[in-house]
Formats: sequence, C-alpha cells, structure tokens
Amino acid sequence: MHIGMPHMGNLYIPFKALFQRLGIDYVIPPVNNQRTLSLGVKHSPEGLCIPFKLTLGNLIEAAELGADTLLMTAGYGLCRLGYYASVQEQILRDLGYNDVEVVRVGIAEDKLFGLLRIIKRLSNNASWLKLISAFRFGLTKLNALDRIERVVQKVRAVELVKGTANQLFAKAIDAIDKADDYNTLKKVQADYIDQLNQVTKDGHAEPLIVGIIGEIYVILEPFSNFDVESELGKLGVEVRRTIFISEWTKFSLFLNPLGMNEKARIHKAALPYLKRDIGGDGWESVGEKVLHAKEYDGLIHLAPFTCMPEIVAQNIMLKTKENIPVLPILCDEQMTKTGMLTRLEAFVDLLERKRRARINHRQRITV
Amino acid sequence: MIRVGIPRALLYYQYYPMWKTFFEELGSQVVISPSTTQAMLSQGSSRVVADTCLPVKVFLGHVLSLVEKCDYIFIPAIRSVKRRVYNCSKFLGLPDMTKAVIPESPPILDIDIDINKGKRDLYQSIYKLGRRFTWNPFKVRQASIATWQAHLDYQKLMSSHRLTPPQAIERISGTPETQLEKHSSHSTSTRGAIALIGHPYLLYDEHINHRLIHRLEQAGYKVLTPEMLTAKGLETAIVRLVGSSYWTYEEEVVGAGGYYLESGADGVIGIMTFGCGPDSLMMDMVRRQAARLRATPFMSLTLEEHTAEAGVVTRLEAFLDMIQSKKRRQVEVCI
Repeated sequence: MHIGMPHMGNLYIPFKALFQRLGIDYVIPPVNNQRTLSLGVKHSPEGLCIPFKLTLGNLIEAAELGADTLLMTAGYGLCRLGYYASVQEQILRDLGYNDVEVVRVGIAEDKLFGLLRIIKRLSNNASWLKLISAFRFGLTKLNALDRIERVVQKVRAVELVKGTANQLFAKAIDAIDKADDYNTLKKVQADYIDQLNQVTKDGHAEPLIVGIIGEIYVILEPFSNFDVESELGKLGVEVRRTIFISEWTKFSLFLNPLGMNEKARIHKAALPYLKRDIGGDGWESVGEKVLHAKEYDGLIHLAPFTCMPEIVAQNIMLKTKENIPVLPILCDEQMTKTGMLTRLEAFVDLLERKRRARINHRQRITV
Repeated sequence: MIRVGIPRALLYYQYYPMWKTFFEELGSQVVISPSTTQAMLSQGSSRVVADTCLPVKVFLGHVLSLVEKCDYIFIPAIRSVKRRVYNCSKFLGLPDMTKAVIPESPPILDIDIDINKGKRDLYQSIYKLGRRFTWNPFKVRQASIATWQAHLDYQKLMSSHRLTPPQAIERISGTPETQLEKHSSHSTSTRGAIALIGHPYLLYDEHINHRLIHRLEQAGYKVLTPEMLTAKGLETAIVRLVGSSYWTYEEEVVGAGGYYLESGADGVIGIMTFGCGPDSLMMDMVRRQAARLRATPFMSLTLEEHTAEAGVVTRLEAFLDMIQSKKRRQVEVCI
C-alpha cells in the first residue's frame, strides 16, 4: 500500500517520521509548485477555493507517483472542505485513476483519535504501543518545527542581513527531517534556536507587530500566500499568529477531552458580534480581531477567494467597535507577488505613520 | 399588535407558510417584503464586501426594505434540518451578519435550528423564540403544533398539485404572489420538458433569474422543478451520485439533477450564483454525471449582479435549439 496526502506547510515531515516508523510507504508529492497549482486549477470546478485546487494538485501528483491510498480531510463541522474528498475522488476517477482510494479523515469530529484509528488500519493493525511510539516521534518533530518557527518570526523582523533567519529555518527543517531519534532531534532544536538567537540584530529596532488571522490552510501554506510572513519580515515587521498545528494537536489529544478548548477565549471575544460557529475559521477570525485590537499594530486577514466563512467574518469584522487596521488578502491563482507586495508596503507605511502619530501625541501630552 | 417582518428571500420559499402560522398563532402580524427590485439589490450590495454572494445581497436588500415597517425581523440561523448534514456559513451567520451590516434594522429574532443536537434542543429554541410573544408555554406548544401542520400541508399542496412554491403560497394566502400563475395557465407544453434545478431562492426570484420560467414557458416547454419530485426519488438520486448528503439543501441540486438527468426531462438547466460555496461543488457533481450518462443535455447558468439579460437569453436559445435538433435527429434515425 502506498499512501499519499496533500501538503500543508511542513506537515509532511512529522507524517514522514510517523509512517517510516510504522513501515508504511509514504509517497510524498513534490512540495507545492506551479505545476501543482496548474493541475489543480485545470481539473477543478471554477468556483472553488485555492485549498481545493492545491490539494487536488497534490493528490494527482501523488497518484502519478504511484500512491493508491490518499488521505484527505473530510466530515461535518468544517466548511465545504468536508465535501472535498468526495468531489476529488470523482475527479480522480474521471482522470483514469480507477484503483485509487480516497480515505476520509474526519478531523473536526473525531479529532486526532480518528486519524490514529485510520493510521492503525493502514499499518496492517500495528499494535497500539508501536503506533503511539511512532506518533509521539512525529509529534516531537512537529513541536520542534513550530518552536523554531516562532523564533524565526521574531528574528526575521530585526535581523540586519535580511534572509538569514529564513536560510537557517530551511536548514533546520532539513535537519529535523533527517533526525532519526529523540536525542538528535533535541540537539537540532536547541542548536538552531541558539543560532537564530545569535543572528546579528538591529538593537534599536522596535518592529511593528502584525497579527495574521484567517483561514488555516492559506495561513500555513506559504505557497498559497506568497510567503507573506517572510515578506513582512523583510519590511521589518514582526508576525504573530495563533494558528499552529502543534497547538491543535496538544489540545485535541490532551486538553479537549478534559473540556478545555484552545479557542474558548477567542470565541468569547467574538460573542458580541457573532454568536455561533459558522464553520471554517470564521468565528476565530472575528474573535481574534476583537482580542488583538489593543495588542497589535495591525492585522492581515488571509482568506481564499470565495471562502464562505471568511466572507461572513469579513463583513462582521469591518463593523466591530474594537478598531485596528486590517488588510484583507484574498488568495487565489490569479494573485501576483508584486500586487501583494505593493499592498503590504502601503499597509506597513500606514501602520508606521499611525504609530508615529501616536508617539507624537503622547509626547505633546507629557510636555 | 407586534409586527414581525419576513424578508422575501433565501429560505422564504421553503418555510413561509410555516413561519407565518407560528407568528400569527402567537397573536402578531406578519409583514413580508415586496418582490425583488433592482433598487433593493443595489442597496443590499452597498452594505457588504464585494465577494458576498448574490442571494445574500438580495436578502439584505429585503431586510432594508422592511426597516421601520415592522417591530422585529425574523432571521433564523439554520444549521441542519436533517441528521448528519451541514449548512453554508452564510446561512449560519445570517442573523449576526445582518445585525453588523444593517445597524438600523429592527431587533432580529434569531433562532438556532440544529437537528444534529437532538429534539430537546430544537424544542428549547422554539420555546425561546415563542416566549418573546407570550408568557404561556402551552400557547407556544399549541402554536408549534399548528405550525408544523401548516408546513406539512404546504408541502403536500406542492407535490400533489405540482405547484411551485410561489403558486402554493398564493393558494394559501389568497393574494397574487407573482406573475407565474398567469403564465403557467396557458402553457401548452408541446415541445418538451425542461427541468430547472437549484435553490428555490434562485428559481422563483424573477429578478435574479431574469424570468427564466416565464421564458421557457413562452418557448413552449413544460418546466419541471425539484419540488415536483417525491422525497424518496430525490434521496435515491443522491445516494447514487454522492453516497450520502452533506448539505442541508442538497436534494434541490444533486437529488433533482440526478433524477431528471435519467428520466422525465429533455434537458436540465442548473442555476447557481457566482461564489456559491455549496453549489460550485454540487453543480459540478451533476455536470460530471451528465457527461458520464450522455443522455440528457445539461447547461449550468451562473448568475451574478452583472449578468446581462441578453446573455441569459442567448444561452437559453442556443440550449433549446440544441435540444430541438437532437430530437429531430432521433426522429430521422427512427425513420
């Protein structure tokens, strides 16, 4: 059995470790590139969002490489994403991949345990012990990746030689991917965090802080958003975001069963404006805007074009009492890098001017 | 007397008799907005970001036309009307979104309908809504029973007399609803039958679809709609096409599409709006099925604010011409 699944950021690294330890053959399609997108766009219905097109491209490329069991998220309680697996399966059939099976992973309802159960089945019923030990190793890799990324987000904004942090990050990803046991992994993580902290920085810089909110796929997949975080880093902006897969796994595995919800705080903040879950990440987008209005200098709202929950969220967000500049960026295959950069520069200029005005105002009051 | 406003858009076509009965049983008066006009659509679109879909813009236009004409506006948040199905985010966020973009609107009566949460939850929501009008829980109970009966009667009326929702609503309330009735009375359907599939708020809003039903009837075709099929027929079609339904209103598109592609129609026209999340997937399922079967011609019309009437007419004429030439060819082969 050859397993394939769509990409989302660096998620393939933990999965590779997990599948390797279980002895499952994991066919990794090429990371998202122009061909993936073109394939996806060519075979998708026109009105669909970029996550559908890219994941379809991944699935086709995985099937080309010989994968016969494709994992795809599905199920109720998401947005239309829950329906994607069925449509993509039909598209693959129409393309002639008749013996490909699309396995639906219900992440919203069954959380991680559902995924574990499916992996157990795929691994020819490996013992729970083996499964959990493999899973733990994958999880450690995921946590290491996210820990390093959090440091990278900070360093990018203040490094003197732009691009240093990104180079180190790329090396770190490679090293984590290659690490074979816990000790190496631990060393790699400590080592790279150390190196990142030692990057020469602009000591006087007080970077603007911009929060990234919106739909999870376009936030976590740099190809779909033209790596907006690095671009903001180049402009000297520190990026913050709440969405990390490691956060979700932590809660899904250990804290959700205890009745804790990582998003409870965000939902509570959204309540005056949006009283119910509208699917996808719409509720969270509204909540985060309200929550971060005082903390950050600005927000970037990333959403795929025609995203249903984010359109509702955007309409509501524009009217909240808590005010903060928001730059909505709709991602689709028509988006160009130059267009996005121009908008980012204008946005950052605006935030800087706003901050200067605030400082001047404060000085005038003290004088 | 308390006046409750109901916008003539979105779910109005499915549930109006039901909602009307409920509020009237509780002693209030129901006000509905007039038929959609261009002015209503423009006013609605001016309130929201451009990506918002056409039906929601129309809906907001209707809400705006009700401002100051009523004391409350009824906007339910319907998550599911069956087990294990889900609804579009636009429906889930409708009350909150309306409140955000139309701050001058009268207080919104919102009610969460989610069958997945069980009957108890449903009863509680209805009770919560009813308590705004009366202190007496038994009165709410009685009203709900009458309401459910009204809904069943409405559905029976549509399927037994083969009526479209506007025609059925007209029969129930006794006031002329649209011009549909007039046209259908002289429909001498000789040239064939065309099935229209899509959500009722697209099929029966003459402003949105440029009087499509009227045009088809004028051209001498009998028009078939999803309401004319039985629930069982729709269900089996869905099972065959996609396994189990995911969307709350999937039978109107995939169910009816799957059914009419196999029997009863000379052509199927799918109507959707640009940027509709569920429809972009469901219409594609139907299109794929049509391509696989190669039996019944299928055309999908995507509507939006800028759809020009002439464009719709041209495509419709071409489609009907194609059906006629196909019929002629079949006759020649037989001879």
